[in-house]
Amino acid sequence: MSLLLEVNNLQKYFPVRGGLFNRRLSDFRAVDDVSFALQEGKTLGLVGESGSGKTTIGKCILRLLEPTAGQILYDGADITHIKARDLRRLRSEIQMIYQAPAASLNGRMTVGQIIGEPLWIHESLKGDAARSRVLELMHVVGLKEEHYYRYPHEFSGGQQQRIGIARALAVQPRLIVLDEPTSALDVSVQAQILNLLQDLQDQFDLTYLFISHDLGVVRYMCDEVALLYLGKIVEVAQTEVIFEAPKHPYTQALISAIPEPDPDMQREEIILHGELSSAESPLTRRGGFRGGGCPFAPRCHAEKLATCETLPPTLIEIEQLHQVACHLHPALAPAENP
Amino acid sequence: MTDLLNIDNLHLEFDTYDGVVKVLAGVDLKMRRGDVLGLVGETGCGKSMTALSVPRLIPMPPGRITAGRVTFDGEDILSKTESEMEAFRARHLGMIFQDPVTNLNPLFTIREQLVDAVLYQRAQGQKVPGRWRGFLPSVRQLRKEAQERAVELMRLTGIPDGEVRIFDYPHQFSGGMRQRVLIAMALAGDPDLLIADEPTTALDVTIQAQILRLIRSLVSQLGLTVLLITHNLGVVARSCERVAVMYAGRVIEESPVRELFKNPKHPYTRGLIAAVPQKDISRGGLEGIPGMIPNLIDPPAGCRFHPRCEYVMETCRGAVPPAVPVGEGHTASCFLYPEDV
Repeated sequence: MSLLLEVNNLQKYFPVRGGLFNRRLSDFRAVDDVSFALQEGKTLGLVGESGSGKTTIGKCILRLLEPTAGQILYDGADITHIKARDLRRLRSEIQMIYQAPAASLNGRMTVGQIIGEPLWIHESLKGDAARSRVLELMHVVGLKEEHYYRYPHEFSGGQQQRIGIARALAVQPRLIVLDEPTSALDVSVQAQILNLLQDLQDQFDLTYLFISHDLGVVRYMCDEVALLYLGKIVEVAQTEVIFEAPKHPYTQALISAIPEPDPDMQREEIILHGELSSAESPLTRRGGFRGGGCPFAPRCHAEKLATCETLPPTLIEIEQLHQVACHLHPALAPAENP
Repeated sequence: MTDLLNIDNLHLEFDTYDGVVKVLAGVDLKMRRGDVLGLVGETGCGKSMTALSVPRLIPMPPGRITAGRVTFDGEDILSKTESEMEAFRARHLGMIFQDPVTNLNPLFTIREQLVDAVLYQRAQGQKVPGRWRGFLPSVRQLRKEAQERAVELMRLTGIPDGEVRIFDYPHQFSGGMRQRVLIAMALAGDPDLLIADEPTTALDVTIQAQILRLIRSLVSQLGLTVLLITHNLGVVARSCERVAVMYAGRVIEESPVRELFKNPKHPYTRGLIAAVPQKDISRGGLEGIPGMIPNLIDPPAGCRFHPRCEYVMETCRGAVPPAVPVGEGHTASCFLYPEDV
């Protein structure tokens, strides 16, 4: 099995401007030194709370945002700085499906036009040839032929998401970045869309980068999960490992916070204090962590070491395919014994 | 013990350009003092409308209640005048909503908004003394007391440093803290019933866990009665004692929480529980409910779930199934369960 996507030390900083002459005061570190790899045909889940940088990573991979630093390898080739001409070819390989189905579809175009547009852009297909391809795609995602001339507003949320999926599939991509594809949908519809996505993955050999805040959905969809906290990966592992034996205190808290529809479920409930992006200090806090300790330390419920406040932990492999960034983990104790 | 809240056969319609939308078609709901009831359902099933009919906050027109009764502690709510309603809301009800951002006025500090809530509820629905009258000694005393109460409410809802934070503006609070402010506001008048409409939907999971724990602790501390509206079955399992499941304008199943998850009776409830990605479901094992929620302008006759139901029978197409007892405190509205068992 080959690596389809490799992200190395990706950084994306947004300038914070203000003061006299709109100077660049500091940086908002949306994504800070993130590395991961994705095997062909697999699904990697990027999980985090709002503001953890998961969508920014997705957009950097599609080059919808220019990364500040780092390297993105797609199928072995460096795509971090490729030119516009090559970028167009790349975008037929990598597609994205968005969270708000209504906002991501042009309300003035019919379903046929929406799904047909990428065919025209990437393959110069139009007329009957395009139409038959569009109808085929509509069939694949479970839309009916009579929907061809309808407009997005005539559809329910689930159906709109199917249109978005058909549009992404039109150019026969290999990698799809799914940005919270079901968080705007009701559970019964969510189940339909998740099943559709799995069927499509099997049918077309797709690789998914699945961005979500819903751990239940991630557990169902993903082979591997990476947890983000304030723009950094805190833990990566196979899905079963993350859910059965999470090592990072944040992962443990997040998993204990999943509201499971099972009133008998006995488990220790870890309630974190504080919030990830407290309105009063996201900027100062991020600025303050330059060279500071673990970004999670202020909310951490575990017994802290002195190093937690002073030294940022690095992501270290503790078992095969399981990486954690936490000083508390025994494998990461060299700080005590330098 | 008598029921605190009794919604009986409530029918609600909305006039729209496309026709009359039959939003509620015979909702029955009872709550006793001290109950924590979860009202669950998907988008458009009428759960918010049911809840809003208690404080009578449904805009009429275009809304219209065509049949049914809502009684609170024996009082008929629907026949009250608007000024009686204001006093009633102040004395008995507290509400929190989904979006903590839009429910606070960004132009006023938390102090002004919380003190207003306290004063309004003390005056039981009468107008709060105007700003200029704040110079009168008696009113000034009143405001001072109200502020003390506001700080106490902030402490109760877990906002640290209430004495200082009360002078902050809403934008200086994070989402979870704003929701706590709104809960404090809802508690200002010692309400008998707290209506929480999707209180955690806009929040991250870790914050959601904090807010649910807060609501639970308020229930045990203050003996609050809570109507919790949510679409998330997990939230219900964590925080409620009883659940009512709604579908297309009707309560289709009502039961104690454990019973509902262990032994769901209505095919819709079963589908809903099976649609949640849970622990032991392997790839491809998730079941959705086929089809979509019906258009309520022209709802299906008989049981409104019948076009999506796998057990559909001939009777389902013609008649509305009554609520039938199917277990201890457990009722389901489905013809699969004969009435005389």
